[in-house]
Amino acid sequence: MIAAGAPAASRPLRATRRPGLAAGRLLRLELRHNAMLWMLPVAAALFWFTAYRKSMALPPLWNLRAMTMQGPALLDFVSPVVGAAAWMGSREGRRHTTDLVAGTARPRWARQLATWAATTCWAVVAYLGCMGVLYGVTAQQAAWGGPLWWPAAVGAASLPALSALGFAAGTFFPSRFTTPLVAVAAFFALGFSTVPIHGSQSYWQISPVVAGPWDIGLDAGVGTFYHYLPDLPIAQVMFLAGLTVAVLGLMGLPAGSGGRWLRRSAAAITAAGLLAAGTAVALAGTGRLEAHGMIAIPALHDAASDQPIRYTPVCSHTAIPVCLNPAYTSYLPAVTAALEPVLGQVAGLPGAPVRISQAAATYQQGPGNSISIGMAGPPISSKPPVFHLVLPDQLPAPAMTTSELAAQLRSNAGLNIVANVIGVPRSGASQAQLAVMAALLKAAGRPVVIACTAGPGCQPGLSAPGTPAYAAAQRFAALSATARHAWLVQHMAALRAGQITLAQLP
Amino acid sequence: MTAGAVRKPRGVAPDRETGSARPPLAGLRLVRLHLASRRVPAALAALAACGVVLRVALHWHWDTYGALQLPLVFEAGAAAVIAVATASPLGEPERATGRWLPYLRLGAALALTAAAVGALAAAGTGAHLAGGNLDVLRNVAGLTGIGLLCAAVLGGSLAWAGPLGYMVVAVYALYAAWHGAALTTPWIWPARPPHDLGAALCAALVFAAGTVVITVRGASDSAGE
Repeated sequence: MIAAGAPAASRPLRATRRPGLAAGRLLRLELRHNAMLWMLPVAAALFWFTAYRKSMALPPLWNLRAMTMQGPALLDFVSPVVGAAAWMGSREGRRHTTDLVAGTARPRWARQLATWAATTCWAVVAYLGCMGVLYGVTAQQAAWGGPLWWPAAVGAASLPALSALGFAAGTFFPSRFTTPLVAVAAFFALGFSTVPIHGSQSYWQISPVVAGPWDIGLDAGVGTFYHYLPDLPIAQVMFLAGLTVAVLGLMGLPAGSGGRWLRRSAAAITAAGLLAAGTAVALAGTGRLEAHGMIAIPALHDAASDQPIRYTPVCSHTAIPVCLNPAYTSYLPAVTAALEPVLGQVAGLPGAPVRISQAAATYQQGPGNSISIGMAGPPISSKPPVFHLVLPDQLPAPAMTTSELAAQLRSNAGLNIVANVIGVPRSGASQAQLAVMAALLKAAGRPVVIACTAGPGCQPGLSAPGTPAYAAAQRFAALSATARHAWLVQHMAALRAGQITLAQLP
Repeated sequence: MTAGAVRKPRGVAPDRETGSARPPLAGLRLVRLHLASRRVPAALAALAACGVVLRVALHWHWDTYGALQLPLVFEAGAAAVIAVATASPLGEPERATGRWLPYLRLGAALALTAAAVGALAAAGTGAHLAGGNLDVLRNVAGLTGIGLLCAAVLGGSLAWAGPLGYMVVAVYALYAAWHGAALTTPWIWPARPPHDLGAALCAALVFAAGTVVITVRGASDSAGE
């Protein structure tokens, strides 16, 4: 092109500065040319393969799915996000354009922040998309309750921090090997950050992959009967925000990042970020396991969160209604089917419960990471009597199917209900009590197979074949249901007092 | 810069223009230049660092999960380094330079893989390395194969995504093996025992495919990175 061909300028250039618009244009450019775009399918595929499938395999309880998702989802995103950020951060160094772009209008720090922001934007968009799918499906399946936002918020707050760490590593060490090494290092640091956790007062709980008391495993009892405590998530978000700010401020410290005031501001920002992160770590160290299974941090704790959640239970239409927390509505048919035979045997007897009611589990910290979980108070309470039970899902155990849960209820809760009605003490039960208990369980379809009379691990009420108690149980079970019921109604008080002998059993 | 400032290449014989004889040590120089263009010395240093950090980590007390998953993380890191080392700074023009390039790519990939296996196996000597050296060999080979395939498709600069993505899948598979829903396919070989033939075959197949592809095609990089 020759000079003559150039059109003459028709009007002077405007000298007005619009930094917001320029920053927006810079961000848009970075969004369009960002390595994180290439990593989105990788992160989404990893999320589907691990976090999504793992969460969806669990019952549709908000607490289970949200808390189970937090750690795996973050581990799915850590390598793609840190790697992409490191790659973007090392761009100028790898292409040897650092000096070339030093003469641009924007300070180096501002340009770097735009690139980091674009990388983070894509990462957060992908993460929120994945969360949206998981929460959307859960919303369709869950019978009661609402989404737990804090686990998702901790994950979302982790991405800027991870992106900043990767970006800073790429900026300070612009090598092609920085990207894989820092991505692996970040995965290692995050994935293994839970190893040093010992007890509920560990500083390491600040790790964003920790959603509750560590090493407790799947626990459906947390956050259902009592509010999900945001104490630990608040500390984690505070730590992540502080870390992000500190790392971003660190990038503004080197000479060449900007003018004197800019670098001083960066130093102040770095200090503020470190202070926030350090405070959050210290707060996490003051945590304690509270009775309802969450980590409470005194400085962040809201006493109102300790109140139980009000709910209307869902009940079965059986002789003795079985009532569950509405979140467990999907469990009701299986629980009812498991207990109905036993309930049919004891319904109408003196001392029989008028209702079977699901209770909240209580938690107590043991040595190290051990936690004892059980039910507070006796199983039978109040007048009229109500039998309280804790579902096996509320106790620390591997995930179980509905049929496994029903089988466990049949063997444990069924036995406990009959024992409580007959008044079988923990030790020193009379032979007649054992025989009646065995007879009722047999009539309920539960075979008498265990033969023991004393010792640890021995279940009460079941006698060995060939013993007089066994013969009496067989005889009592052979009665018609009406005759058995009538005899029990008449003699229940004496049976509970241990005044009935085997010979007196019909 | 003047013409006189141009350094005369070492090892070039005076009668090169006549083509009457091969320059002495030209092959070695070619190898050296190729390795330098792929940053192989830095890659070797990174692999050595992986071995050293693994050695230090093995001295700590790990729970069962940690002990099983720890070597895999370093194996994936080593494989990612090898994959990234395939990136060429010259891009497409390099393909027209001669017939030795595929052999140089093959040699570099094999040498780095051997170095990675050696470094990680040495790190586990005298310590409890879950799976042992056979596990290291199988996993590094398979992960490197994934990295080389990614380098051919995505380019060397983004090839790390393959081994690291697979690492997440394998770590999850190791976890799932303890929690009922085990992933038993041999294509997730790190979750299988070291002597599992199917897993070894899958890893070998992926490594062979990656090596062949990277030998024939090279990493699909543009010049300037």
